Amino acid sequence: MNKKAGPLFYIFLAIFVFAVMFPFLWMLVSSIKPITELFGDKAFTPFTSHPTFENYVSVFTNYPFLKYLWNSFVVSGITTLYTVLIASFTAYAIARLQFKGKTVILGLVLSVSMFPQIATISPIYILLKNIGLTNSYLGLIIPYTTVTLPLSIWILVTFFRKIPFDLEEAAKMDGASLMQTYWKVILPLAVPGIFTTAILVFIAAWNEFLFALTINTDDKLKTVPVGIAMFEGQFTVPWGDITAATVIVTIPLVIMVLLFQRRIVSGLTSGAVKE
Amino acid sequence: MEVKLNPKKQPKPVKPSSGNKRKASESRLGYMLVAPSLILILLIAVWPVLQSFYYSMFDLRLNNPTKSEVNLSYHIDLEKYLNSYPFLITTLEDEAGKAAGSAADTLNGLVKELKDVDAGIQSDAAVKKQYDQVDDKLTNMEPVSDELSSVKVDKADAMKLDETLHKVSAKVKALKGLENEEDALGLSSSLNEAVIKPNFIGLDHYKSNLTDKRMWMAIWNTSAFTIISVFIELVIGLAIALLINKAFFGRGLVRATILIPWAIPTAVSAKMWQFLYDGQNGVVAKIFEKVGLVDNATDLLTSNIGAMFSIIFTDVWKTTPYMALLLLAGLQTISSSLYEAASIDGATKWKQFTTITLPLLKSSILVALLFRTLDAFRVFDLVYVLTGGGPANSTETISILAYKRMFEQTNFGDGSALSVIVFVCVAVISMIFIKFLGRDLLNDK
Repeated sequence: MNKKAGPLFYIFLAIFVFAVMFPFLWMLVSSIKPITELFGDKAFTPFTSHPTFENYVSVFTNYPFLKYLWNSFVVSGITTLYTVLIASFTAYAIARLQFKGKTVILGLVLSVSMFPQIATISPIYILLKNIGLTNSYLGLIIPYTTVTLPLSIWILVTFFRKIPFDLEEAAKMDGASLMQTYWKVILPLAVPGIFTTAILVFIAAWNEFLFALTINTDDKLKTVPVGIAMFEGQFTVPWGDITAATVIVTIPLVIMVLLFQRRIVSGLTSGAVKE
Repeated sequence: MEVKLNPKKQPKPVKPSSGNKRKASESRLGYMLVAPSLILILLIAVWPVLQSFYYSMFDLRLNNPTKSEVNLSYHIDLEKYLNSYPFLITTLEDEAGKAAGSAADTLNGLVKELKDVDAGIQSDAAVKKQYDQVDDKLTNMEPVSDELSSVKVDKADAMKLDETLHKVSAKVKALKGLENEEDALGLSSSLNEAVIKPNFIGLDHYKSNLTDKRMWMAIWNTSAFTIISVFIELVIGLAIALLINKAFFGRGLVRATILIPWAIPTAVSAKMWQFLYDGQNGVVAKIFEKVGLVDNATDLLTSNIGAMFSIIFTDVWKTTPYMALLLLAGLQTISSSLYEAASIDGATKWKQFTTITLPLLKSSILVALLFRTLDAFRVFDLVYVLTGGGPANSTETISILAYKRMFEQTNFGDGSALSVIVFVCVAVISMIFIKFLGRDLLNDK
């Protein structure tokens, strides 16, 4: 296989990167155009001679956008912390301990991660409505577990399996109990894996749409994806606001991806590749 | 790694018998550690699926007070009952006093029948107790909880009440010209609403859905979307993975580029593409029109084929990079010495691809296909935001249809039946894949 990269390869690469990024670049350009330039002939010019921030101001003044961001942040943050904690115990047990039925449990976890969300929504919605948890943070955190818990167990099991088994044997010889082995030997080595899992779980919770759409219908409790999807103008679609909002949610994402790309890739591909 | 232990504790000597003990305690610890996750999964994922199936056998409508809950037996809503019954009796007695001859007899007869039915309902001791409690609360103007208000009654009593009330309405109407005719009719019909009939309907929702054109259309749309988009994603993803499986300058940048479409919320990317596809002002629509992909820029979101194409195109843009990443990881596990040996033997690039790359990549491809197929089959956000299922339901997927039944028509019974159908489809697809993958997916090594 040709391992050298020629000039043709770089041209291809440049085209590829441009094609993938084009929508974002266009949103960035459109977001600083005055609203009048989003319609008519000027809609197709890739620059503007009157750059403005009015769209950005509008996003924060005409919608509770800051509230949307905060809601998403709180819900995703709490979901991530508690699922990763619980999942790390389970993943450790499945990956490192010997007990009957663990393959079955892992199989159950994997099948649950394949459940379509729509199949769980009606009982969850009716239950949350009856106990008064619709339009609350907890009302989203609870159902998000369906998505995030199997995901984190699945990724963490692969990470825990990669830790050399000799270390445990050594700890056992020194007379350490199983819990001591976990806290003092395994956990410190698993920190990178746990961190990676946390990033992926956070992204999954941040992006969730169906539960957020149906359970939190109050404007003050909407999350970012639902909030942006529901942007509505009085007479026309508020494209200016939508472009600005998209740029606002994409920028932190770009920074996060640039910082953690190696971790994200290792998390995404773990479990999917046999090494 | 240094292992620091509590120095005060003497290390336990390892006796031969401690092996079994340790094994037992290892098992116990294993179950303890697994328990919280297992309980959560059973409660928040397995129970709802089973409950969905249960709901799907009822005529469950959240906007209709007599069908808003699952009822296997006849119930009476005592609050409603006691808010109407005494007044209906007084109204009828009043009218009987004013009327003369046969009209008075008829009205008195109705009063007697109603009282008989009421006595019948109260004859059950448990019902009687609840009946009195609700009555007291109503007299004292206290709120009545739903639980206290609802009481299970015999089918015969409930049917009798229903029947008598119909008779009352009919006779009151037949008498004509009663002073308070409207009151009597109103009270009689609100009293009738207090009777809650069982809404168990068995598999009727499935029967009606499986013969419903719209349901089959949704299945067709979902399958077409899944097969076409996953196929394109696999081909392009594999091509990209093969191309970038080498050392080159700017790897990090390319990897980041790949990850951004994957990481952005689907709903947000759908909204973004809605702007780009817009018939008047969308730049992508304009480009497609210029290169001749569509006749007219407005066709993209307003024609059936155009809308389906738009959804597939957006999905390909968003998830091909993810596919490429999964396949790239698989490619990197193939040793380069295999290719070296093959080229020494004079195998062509194509021959190397079909005899080395594809067979060794098989399980990676299958896993990527499995995840992507299931994801595509349950597609919701993308369609909901980009087209809403339109135009003319041409992009309505099965999840969208189930959502509309539940949250737009508040028909949770029928919606649950549809979601069970989605679940069964997904289960069948995964079984097919797992048959090909074997137990590879779960094995330790």
